[in-house]
Amino acid sequence: MAKLKIKNLKKSYENEQIIHGVNLEIKDGEFVVFVGPSGCGKSTLLRLIAGLEEITEGEISIGDKVVNEIAPSKRGVAMVFQNYALYPHMNVYKNMSFALRQARMNKDEINRRVKNAAEILQISDFLLKTPRSLSGGQRQRVAIGRAIVREPDVFLFDEPLSNLDAALRVNTRLEIARLHKRLGTTMIYVTHDQVEAMTLADKIVVLNNGKIEQIGSPIELYENPLNMFVAGFIGSPKMNFLNSKTLTKNISTIVKGAKREDIIGIRPEHLLKTTYTKSIISARLDLIENLGENVLVHMILNNDDQIIAKMNTAPKEPIGTKLHFTANIKNLHLFNKK
Amino acid sequence: MSNKSLLRLLQAPSIILLLLWMLIPLGMTLYFSFIRYVLNNLRKPEWTTPSISNWRGLGNYEYVLYKSKDFWFAVQNSLLIVGSIIILTVIFGLAISILINRTFPGRGIVRVLLISPFFVMPSVNAVLWINMILDPVLGLNGLAIEGLNQILKDLQDLPLLGRFFSLWPVFEPISFRATQTSSYAVIIMVTWQWTPFAVLIFMTSLQSEDQQQIEAAILDGANAWSRFINLTIPHLARPISIVIMIQAIFHLSLYAEIEIVSRGNGNKNLPYLIGEFSSNNIGAASATGVFAVILANIVAIFLLRIVGKSLME
Repeated sequence: MAKLKIKNLKKSYENEQIIHGVNLEIKDGEFVVFVGPSGCGKSTLLRLIAGLEEITEGEISIGDKVVNEIAPSKRGVAMVFQNYALYPHMNVYKNMSFALRQARMNKDEINRRVKNAAEILQISDFLLKTPRSLSGGQRQRVAIGRAIVREPDVFLFDEPLSNLDAALRVNTRLEIARLHKRLGTTMIYVTHDQVEAMTLADKIVVLNNGKIEQIGSPIELYENPLNMFVAGFIGSPKMNFLNSKTLTKNISTIVKGAKREDIIGIRPEHLLKTTYTKSIISARLDLIENLGENVLVHMILNNDDQIIAKMNTAPKEPIGTKLHFTANIKNLHLFNKK
Repeated sequence: MSNKSLLRLLQAPSIILLLLWMLIPLGMTLYFSFIRYVLNNLRKPEWTTPSISNWRGLGNYEYVLYKSKDFWFAVQNSLLIVGSIIILTVIFGLAISILINRTFPGRGIVRVLLISPFFVMPSVNAVLWINMILDPVLGLNGLAIEGLNQILKDLQDLPLLGRFFSLWPVFEPISFRATQTSSYAVIIMVTWQWTPFAVLIFMTSLQSEDQQQIEAAILDGANAWSRFINLTIPHLARPISIVIMIQAIFHLSLYAEIEIVSRGNGNKNLPYLIGEFSSNNIGAASATGVFAVILANIVAIFLLRIVGKSLME
């Protein structure tokens, strides 16, 4: 187990810079999720920590050691890959014990560790099967098992659930959360799925274009996003952004001290239906998606922007009617337009 | 008429044609191998036309096995040549394909140049190698040895160390047209020609090797050699078996190279022996042909046992 520290990390390929100076500290035993849209550099950051990419500038330290020049296998990290990357011609036992055999560990110890990991992951029955004969979820467990047997200081997960179907994804997500509780090891998890990020993380790192946009606990990011990018990325459906032209009241009367060019963000679940006089926005009803537990109401503003409201019951008004909404002042987010 | 018999009927013409294609030559070979049939014999002119009245039974086989001194030598040599070529091409093929499986400037040109030996005609290949490279006087072989001897001579003239170098023997160029060495010449030139084939096949499948598996192995602490043994070789199992199978089929019937290197002196394989017999004794040639078919089948069975598994998976 170890803490991890990244200091002013930069990475460029030839003439293109991918990571622009990242600073990050991860506490011992923390579950950290890197989240961001594709191409934001989250996977590159993970690969830099693993040692699969060379660091252009800056410093990564695991524990108290700077690992820039240390070989990937000596850094005390273990990685679970997106497509599992199991060795296809080895059976599950050999897959899981490969790293230990490479390290010439004695047979009893290898056996003990593999059996132990197999028990945690409930794959003891497949130890002699080849990866080809396993289902996607089972392969995923083997890949995680291969990481566990090494007893690393830091686990790295590179979008481990993206190849699984929806039901299995929820299950495996829970199992990873349980595994973290049980092992208590530092884990770093890369995903583009904000639901995975919100449910798993102790700390979320939101990345965009190779820069950190915000670091914080899931609830912090949800309640106090620093900027429009984070606000738009965290939460589903996306936060609605309204400028002063689309509001029915003067922006400075809604939020004190707001300027004309500022933007107000309201999450769909915080929009409350009301009358015109009390409203802060009005929009034309366009489409209703009924999810059972709640209803997503899609509407069009007078400047043709779309907004979404999440409501408990579907509005009775016919399509095309103007609906009026307000929101609790504490649920309004004010952003400066850059 | 049921559907199945209609199907059979429609397939029949092509299958019958294929059967005739194979059975007629095989049948004629078997027939000739049991009769006396020579192209030229003044004392027994009746033997020069194939006829059942010249029946010799197993006589031709007996002659080939016991009376001609070259048969067992040819069998042994066939296996030596095929085996050596396969081993060498697989080793060189693996080494070269891994070497060029990375990006470097001029990779396209290098690849084309590497493949080019495969497009040289076998007889041209043999003439070039035996005359320009392996010839002990005019070839690179002779020139290199001559150069080495010159250097040795210069060293012997040195003031102090000269005495030490004068103990060294003068180098002799290897003659590749002498007895057993002529089969080495054939092995060298065919290996040169067929390594590109192995490279081509290995190269394409190296490109389909999963990069994440390699990265996983790097994280698991496997060094380059261990990754090669544990990941690359198993990944290449199928292409390697294809290369072995195809080459075994082709090289059992080598002829041009053997003819050009030494006209069969000290180096014969079964096809060459058949060629020698057929200059007059068609009966013995046919009997040898039957043995060649048997040998090819034995080799094929062995190969299927060894490499068939990886092909079937």
